[in-house]
Amino acid sequence: MSLTSYSAVVRRLVVSPGPAQEQRAQCVASAAGVSAVLRAFGRPPGDLPVRTVVYIGAAALDPELGREHEGFTVRTALTPGRALRLAHRELQDNTADFAMVAGFGEPDPHTITVYALKRAAEAIADADRVLGVLDTAGADEDDTPPVRPLHHGRRATDPERHRLLLWSGRDAQDESRVRGELLPLLSGLHSEAFPALPTAVPCGTPPGPVRGAAVTVAALAAGTVHKARAVRAGRPRPVALLFPGQGSQHAGMARGLYRREPVFTAAVDAALAHMGEEGDRIREDWLTTGEPRVPIDDVRRAQPLLFAVDYALGRMILGWGVRPAALLGHSAGELVAAVIAGVVSLPDAVAMMMSRVREAVKIPEGGMLAVAASETRLRPYLGADVAIAAVNAAQQVMLAGSAEPLAATGARLRADGFTVVTVPATSPFHSPAMAPASDAVEADYRRIPLREPRLPLYSGYTGALMRPEEALSPRFWARQITDTVHFRAALEELLAVEDVLLVEAGPRQTLTAFARRHRSVRLGAGAATPLLPARRGTEEADRQSVLTAAARIWTEGHDLDMDAVSRLWTWSDEEPVVAASGAGARREPAPALGS
Amino acid sequence: MTTTTTTVTLADLTRMLRESAGEEEGVDLDGDVIDTPFMDLGYDSLALLQVIGQIQREYGIEIPDDAVVDAETPGALLALINAGQGTAA
Repeated sequence: MSLTSYSAVVRRLVVSPGPAQEQRAQCVASAAGVSAVLRAFGRPPGDLPVRTVVYIGAAALDPELGREHEGFTVRTALTPGRALRLAHRELQDNTADFAMVAGFGEPDPHTITVYALKRAAEAIADADRVLGVLDTAGADEDDTPPVRPLHHGRRATDPERHRLLLWSGRDAQDESRVRGELLPLLSGLHSEAFPALPTAVPCGTPPGPVRGAAVTVAALAAGTVHKARAVRAGRPRPVALLFPGQGSQHAGMARGLYRREPVFTAAVDAALAHMGEEGDRIREDWLTTGEPRVPIDDVRRAQPLLFAVDYALGRMILGWGVRPAALLGHSAGELVAAVIAGVVSLPDAVAMMMSRVREAVKIPEGGMLAVAASETRLRPYLGADVAIAAVNAAQQVMLAGSAEPLAATGARLRADGFTVVTVPATSPFHSPAMAPASDAVEADYRRIPLREPRLPLYSGYTGALMRPEEALSPRFWARQITDTVHFRAALEELLAVEDVLLVEAGPRQTLTAFARRHRSVRLGAGAATPLLPARRGTEEADRQSVLTAAARIWTEGHDLDMDAVSRLWTWSDEEPVVAASGAGARREPAPALGS
Repeated sequence: MTTTTTTVTLADLTRMLRESAGEEEGVDLDGDVIDTPFMDLGYDSLALLQVIGQIQREYGIEIPDDAVVDAETPGALLALINAGQGTAA
């Protein structure tokens, strides 16, 4: 059972339509009523997701009420039960992203119950407070479907799992004292109790500025805490998120988090669910321990999976309470950054990415090379069919082109003493060869609603902060598969604005390495930390690496939602998500009587 | 019978690491870097391959391609290079 087929109720409110209507026997769904529904939760309608649909369940409709109101689609049904079911179906069919359902005359004839509904996986990924999932299994369409509790997996108490131990003090002396109180607790502890220890001590008070952190298993806890070096967290540098693109994928990437971290899991499932049946095949290929049907480096796997993993890691960090000051994605990673910045909705971004993949496979086979050299030194080697795909660092440039000319260029470069590595890619992304694909996706992108970024979003295509008119341009997004990625310039701009802690939200540590070579990070003004290991390892290594990053963010001086972080060692999704409560629980079958 | 064994020192390696990074970019190699993972120093596999290529040319020795994966720190790379024609330990 997966979260992806459920709709979650994230808000529910009973409102009265006002004194004027109190005399009426039943409140009538009117245009004014719809306006009230749109504002029921205090958000101005402009802040609602683009594809918000209002569903009205009412016996009496004002004939003036149209099928659109304040720019939002309005659908009507005879009863609140029908309206909720309709909303559920449209969310699952992906024709709506957010549903405001108004049950007129519910729970009594004079009131309206307003429900905010989202797809369950997305609600969890977005860290919404989920009131429960809608149980639409009932046979009677007119019944209001009950809201069932959402079970967040079961708590695991495995002492072999790595966990985080955080402690702090007002000053160095206080930190030593706190650590001194923690240590005997760890050495005398029953290992089963290890996962249940508080994440941060002292409990009940805000953390102090001198902070220590350890990522450890039960058996090594005391030693690790004893040896840890405490740091003084000054004014924390804001976090900026980096999203890697193609080339960073590897088989089984980030698998250690799937079904072991709820936000990551829900977000991956949400992204894959928007890929339809292909999404299921992608998940199978990702999780298989044998040979996948389509290898990971194929554009049909690399791009969708990187998108899902980058997005889910970003959501997980946001779920910890981290508010990024800037976002920067490399190549395909820019689309993930755009989702996080609110430029495009998740389903639309998935559609954009899948459209790229569809068009990319039509382009004659090509590839990409990474060369340890500057852009200037590589200029003489370029031709009509081989172009600069990305400038990543002063001494790291990627070339792209059609298979044969690229191979010839690679051979020439090697003969001239350059270090050249073939990037695992089957398409010549960011080269003129992709132009037909770029034109084709542009036609698709014209149908997609785009918004201005709500967070500072840096673009590798301009090497600068993305301007609103760029974010709103379908052509800007379509050109990305043909144009050069100026990652180095964009990173330079980002780091010039302020000193930040860069966190790489993706597999491997490619962008972290580029950042560590940057002056700002080298001099210690900025810092960079990866979330995942540099190469494929064990699933436990994935979790250990994420915990180390969380520790790094905390010792920087940021506050973290400890409950959210602790799910990395207390949560697993081996049990059904929804309470086993089929239709039978609601209506006891009539006792069988002897005939 | 006797062959001159070339020994690559940490100072040599540090110099080549610096050179490969170029003038504008580089890493802080002034501290105690012998046990610092290359990744933490900002050397990804391509940058490391370049350094290894340079060592091979300069010292006329063969280093297996796996060195990039096996040697995670300057200390480990030196050990691998100096352990007789770069045979992995």
